[in-house]
Amino acid sequence: MQRQGFNRAVVVLHWLLAVSIFFLFISSWWMMGLPLPSEELQFRAFPFQLHKNIGLTLVVLLIVMLYMRFKYPPAPPSAQDMTPWMHKSAILAHIAIYGLIFFVCISGYLSSAHTKWDTTVWWLFTLPRIAEANEDMNEFWGELHTYSAWILLALIAVHVSGAIYHSYRNDGIIRRMMRW
Amino acid sequence: MVSNDLNNSSTPNWASILGVVAIMLGVFLTAMHGTELMKQSVMTSNMPVSGVMPEADCPLGELDEEGITLEQCEFLVDYVQGIAQSTPDWFPDTMMKLALVGTLLAFASVIIGGALVNYTPWSTTAAIAVFIGLAAVDLLQFAAVVMTGPLLRDMYLWSILLWFLLHLMLLVGAIAGRHTEAARIQRDVA
Repeated sequence: MQRQGFNRAVVVLHWLLAVSIFFLFISSWWMMGLPLPSEELQFRAFPFQLHKNIGLTLVVLLIVMLYMRFKYPPAPPSAQDMTPWMHKSAILAHIAIYGLIFFVCISGYLSSAHTKWDTTVWWLFTLPRIAEANEDMNEFWGELHTYSAWILLALIAVHVSGAIYHSYRNDGIIRRMMRW
Repeated sequence: MVSNDLNNSSTPNWASILGVVAIMLGVFLTAMHGTELMKQSVMTSNMPVSGVMPEADCPLGELDEEGITLEQCEFLVDYVQGIAQSTPDWFPDTMMKLALVGTLLAFASVIIGGALVNYTPWSTTAAIAVFIGLAAVDLLQFAAVVMTGPLLRDMYLWSILLWFLLHLMLLVGAIAGRHTEAARIQRDVA
């Protein structure tokens, strides 16, 4: 018999990812309003490094979470909690969210890799450059990063709505991701 | 073999709803307080000692990349300077301390929300304590911003007031739930 709820490590990683993703959205809206960088104006330096570092760490955390998710899968939801079409939609939405998190993080890194600014991993070491500074490529990946982030935000809104729907029904679904 | 029955739960409906709302708002508020902490730290550590802001550096390529005009680029520097001039000396430190406490309490509300959904014996008392703490942080932030000036009031007050009302609703919800459960237990005993 399988555990009905998710593995505890998956639960902790899920909520850590949630807080990090919202922090990245909210802080990015603020940091894009800071003055463009120059030798004397360094307002953007710390927030941008932090943004990149959290984004790169998210990729690692998501891989760990997915590994644990598939190693210790929860039992399928009961039919009284979720109709088959809801279950299928939820699976599709989750695949889209995971895919988009990867894409948003990787496109952000590729956009940054085409600027003159290096990426220092948690202020410990600098990642080797994978490309020369190129404004066109920076803009290309930057736009993909931005638009995919908006789509991710829309999907998160759907995901949150689903969670609230199950909390109103007070069924078993909501407790699958609330196991401390 | 591990099994946990999630369906036959004794969680009352109010606790399930309150728990999930506390989690959602807690996730969002942790991110907001975290951003505020970084905002104050970045603004204070990057302001020139002289207080005079350097000229904006707006190369055409960068403007195109950012999707802004030259005037907007120059305004970004003026805007930061305007905020710096409107900020009393004591304000960044106060906001950082409150934002730090707020971040911790907001993250605690995510954990407490999960406890409410599972309806653990300590969840309601802990929820009341955390919601009181969050409402107190809102009130202190509100008082701090009121003592600044029109620019910072315009930036902060509406959002702090909204969060205060949300925390008040969560607090009253937790208290009402506790009273409902106490009445139910009394009825069962009688």
